[in-house]
Amino acid sequence: MNDTLKYAYYPGCSLHASAGEYDLSTRELFHALGISLTEVPDWFCCGATPAHNVDELLSLSLCAKNLELAEQVEGDLAVACASCFSRLKFTQHTLEENVTKRKQVEKAIDAPVKLDGKVKHLLEILAKDLGLERLAASVSKPLAGLKVACYYGCLLTRPTDVPNLDCPEAPTIMERVVEAAGAEAVAWSHRLECCGANFTLSRPGVVLQLTNAILDSAKAAGADCVMVGCPLCHGNLDIRQKEIESVYTTSYNLPVFYLTQLVGLAVGLASEQLGLDAMIVNPTPLLKEKGLL
Amino acid sequence: MKKKKMVLSQETMDTDFIRKVETLSDTSVRSCFQCGKCSAGCPMATFMEHPPNRVMRLLQLGQWQRVLAGRSIWYCASCETCSTRCPNKVHLASIMDALRKLSWDAEGASKESYVQLANKLFLQNISTYGRQYEMRLAAVFNVKSGQFLKDMMLGPKLFAKGKLKMFQRKNKNLSEIQKIFSRIEEMRKKGEAL
Amino acid sequence: MSRIGVFICHCGENISRTVDVERVAQEVGRLPGVAFSSDYKYMCSDPGQTLLKKTIQDQKLSHVVVAACSPRMHEKTFRKAVEAAGLNPFLCEMANIREHCSWVHENIEEATVKATEIVGMMVERVKKNRVLPTITVPVTKRSLVIGGGIAGIQAALDIADAGHEVVLVEREPSIGGHMAQLSETFPTLDCSQCIMTPKMVDVANHPKIKLYTYSEIELVEGFIGNFQVTIKKKARSVDEDRCTGCGVCMTKCPQKKIPNKFDQNIGMRTAIYIPFPQAVPNTPVIDRENCTKFKTGKCGVCQKVCGPGAVDFEQEDRLIVEPVGAIVVATGFDLYTIDEKPKGSPIKGYGEFGHGKIPDVIDGMTFERLASASGPTGGKIVRPSDGKEPKQIVFIQCIGSRAREKGISYCSKVCCMYTAKHTMLYHHKVHDGQAYVFFMDARTPGKSYDEFWRRAIEEEEAVYIRGMVSRLYQKGDKIVVMGSDIAVGVQVEIEADMVVLATAIQPQKGADLLAQKLGISYDKYNFYSEAHAKLRPVECATAGIYLAGACQGPKDIPETVSQASAAAAKVMTLFSKDKLEREPIVARVREAGCVGCFACRKVCAYGAVEEKEIRDRQGNLIKVVAYVNPGVCAGCGTCQATCPSKCVELDGYTDEQVIAMIEAL
Repeated sequence: MNDTLKYAYYPGCSLHASAGEYDLSTRELFHALGISLTEVPDWFCCGATPAHNVDELLSLSLCAKNLELAEQVEGDLAVACASCFSRLKFTQHTLEENVTKRKQVEKAIDAPVKLDGKVKHLLEILAKDLGLERLAASVSKPLAGLKVACYYGCLLTRPTDVPNLDCPEAPTIMERVVEAAGAEAVAWSHRLECCGANFTLSRPGVVLQLTNAILDSAKAAGADCVMVGCPLCHGNLDIRQKEIESVYTTSYNLPVFYLTQLVGLAVGLASEQLGLDAMIVNPTPLLKEKGLL
Repeated sequence: MKKKKMVLSQETMDTDFIRKVETLSDTSVRSCFQCGKCSAGCPMATFMEHPPNRVMRLLQLGQWQRVLAGRSIWYCASCETCSTRCPNKVHLASIMDALRKLSWDAEGASKESYVQLANKLFLQNISTYGRQYEMRLAAVFNVKSGQFLKDMMLGPKLFAKGKLKMFQRKNKNLSEIQKIFSRIEEMRKKGEAL
Repeated sequence: MSRIGVFICHCGENISRTVDVERVAQEVGRLPGVAFSSDYKYMCSDPGQTLLKKTIQDQKLSHVVVAACSPRMHEKTFRKAVEAAGLNPFLCEMANIREHCSWVHENIEEATVKATEIVGMMVERVKKNRVLPTITVPVTKRSLVIGGGIAGIQAALDIADAGHEVVLVEREPSIGGHMAQLSETFPTLDCSQCIMTPKMVDVANHPKIKLYTYSEIELVEGFIGNFQVTIKKKARSVDEDRCTGCGVCMTKCPQKKIPNKFDQNIGMRTAIYIPFPQAVPNTPVIDRENCTKFKTGKCGVCQKVCGPGAVDFEQEDRLIVEPVGAIVVATGFDLYTIDEKPKGSPIKGYGEFGHGKIPDVIDGMTFERLASASGPTGGKIVRPSDGKEPKQIVFIQCIGSRAREKGISYCSKVCCMYTAKHTMLYHHKVHDGQAYVFFMDARTPGKSYDEFWRRAIEEEEAVYIRGMVSRLYQKGDKIVVMGSDIAVGVQVEIEADMVVLATAIQPQKGADLLAQKLGISYDKYNFYSEAHAKLRPVECATAGIYLAGACQGPKDIPETVSQASAAAAKVMTLFSKDKLEREPIVARVREAGCVGCFACRKVCAYGAVEEKEIRDRQGNLIKVVAYVNPGVCAGCGTCQATCPSKCVELDGYTDEQVIAMIEAL
């Protein structure tokens, strides 16, 4: 048991609604690994993309306030959603360097800005804090024979110097985590390409075109499924998959897993603990075929 | 507007606009030497009337009307690919944010009402509930954009899987959150922030 | 009684814009000892110097202070003028009121006061100046040339043809450098080796050139006219005097698949090898790291089949000291690599192009080897992965160059031209292929250069696209190129069979270490710094060392050859005198007070401190003191600062002089 790993937990708005299974699998997995997660009290929306798209000061202020709330909980801040992760890191990065903006934000939130807390994505916690060795040691049901296309999307690794999670053009952190879980990570061309993010609401046609290219590339590389670390990427690839198949007259049948669901399976958690039934593209046939369920 | 001849002089090149964008985005506009790498890697370039490098060019020449009135900047997905790959370290994604803000503030009809509507509703959710109320976001968007039947087929499926919550509780600290919005508005009225 | 003449220069507007020079002249004229004080527009000009000389004679001046630019600019000029007027040059000092005053301040009042103080300080100092006799040292009329590429070869031939001996040191087993790797050269498309090999043979045959190949510079001591260079001759494992160059050893060597650096690692070689057939000298080298005999003790076939018995496994590295009077540095360049962490470089790689892992993405030099008739494919342009001919080939310019984000801000100068050349070579060999070039600008400033580039587009059907490439990725056996055309304003996608990157020109690996050995300056990219960018482009700030070729900055072959000949001319100027006058700013030990602690010797970077025995009339040893060799001393003054008993003085910078300056403030 790793009593030393304690984190404040910022789920983000999607995890309480459309990405409920990400929240569930994260809690269950971390509990199984002995890592404690304490939700930040009264956390609120970080603003995601819409806020900084039209009002950077608002975005920085919302995030700065959330960072302040996170200080009340012991431990670094664990973030599940790539977009929330990106905004929180951006806030720290921008306010560290730009004194004018920092003063404006302090006025807006009526509190001093705290920038020394560490903000970590779940991948970082699993791969670095816990460590791949300990992770592999916790695996009781390796995902042998499962070919996974690890999809990073945009915000986990870009831009350079902000997320500092891994190399922006050739990251390997997801592949290393999935390999520690016993699966095989495939090499594919579209793992860093944009899925269209929040255009899913306003311009879904855009999303369909971009996600089609992504799924096509994953399929061509021989993947059985896709793994993501962001609820919006998940939504676009999973919820809209049937629509993509019909618009582009093709067939993918690629289940889209959250990283905590796949790692959770490997660690021996049950399907109910991982919210597998919430996935629109049904993963059960694939998992049964590989003998993983 | 797009094809009109550009008559350049110190009056027609709005350098004030350029400075505002540089202050908001904290990056240099003049560093861009129009290599086109941003446009080459932009996932949304095919949807924009002005690809990213052309938006930069118009900005460099201070042609704010052509930039702010168009829909190109609203098709930016904020994927940060351009900023990551620019050989001159120009943070184009931040410049796009600044242009959108200036367009949001500027008067006159914008051509990209759907994206702006979505953004507006998203921000409204924060000041009304604290956290995103996805159900409301989707529903009100459909109504206000006149696309009542959009994504209708997805609705029941998502409900069944528990992905759409009917009700949303307001945050306990909602008043604190609302004060952030109002304080920023005050600062802008007093000219303390752009 | 001193009669000091003070001349305040306007330096055009450089000084007079910020300093009220007339006022300074008036103020200084009132100082005790100053017999003459006035201002003039351009002291360094002909009338200015004439004024100086005339005033010395008319006013019978004993000392001179010229208040103007930095002494690094014109101290020599004014001291020469003063000498011509009959005064010892070391009684002339410069007061720097330009770099130290007018160029760094804006407030006229404050600057004028400061300038007056600076001139006042120098007036007090010059009163303590002593007449210093010139020192002459002999000049060794032999030159060292480091680097056997086209720059080194040209410089060596020019100096040797003038009748002076040249020691040419080359790190690789053969001379020729990168030019030997090229196929055809712009703008005439003549074969590179055809024009170069005659020169290489001339070097080998020249009676005045001593050629050391497979050798490196180990240590450099001494100073202009009198260097001692230690050369490490690495062990070839082959006796050069016995080897006839028959090549039998290479045919019998069992290790045949070692990647050949000369062929950019796509061609193979044996363990005992010459890098290319036209190598000079034509003597093989054993690559001990990959040779079976050296790794396991077995084999030794080459020795068995060698008729003259030239193979010598026992051969060891040798150190040889060569005395030379001048050094020409011509170490050349290397190409940037897009690897994740390019070796030894703080410069980032290109992840968006695959960090060098996509097999058919190559650099320009590799393309040259493919196109070269003597290359690994016999001149056929084929994909390294499967040997097929590429029908769609994409060239991308400015890889690394002009990219602040990657760490290189400069332009590599030659890539626009060589890429145009590549499209032509490709078109000549693959008639049904199509070449595309993604570029930002086309830099073609030389003679016939722009016409050459236009020929690539207009006659040789290359498609030039103004725009850059965001990413390359593999799709099956093709490479997808995601680019843009900014003139049309759309994204461009090409499924290429091969991609050639025009990577940046960088200095050779180890350039900084060599510079440190030589004591010359280099910039943040490790390019060697010239003494003055416009007026002294082939000399270093360190006297006696000259620069030629790409080690000083990216350049093409015509410029390299020009620079090499220019450096050779400088060397010949140096050698045109039998004796070299040295500045008498040297240290002197006051033997009466010296206790022989030799702290000075410990801190002397030039090895100028020797031991001297002091004996009485009977020949008994009284003490051993330090003695500074005036021929070696570089006048840095470190010994003066270090001596605990204050027994060392630097002529021209004595404590007395410096204290006088401080007290004048």
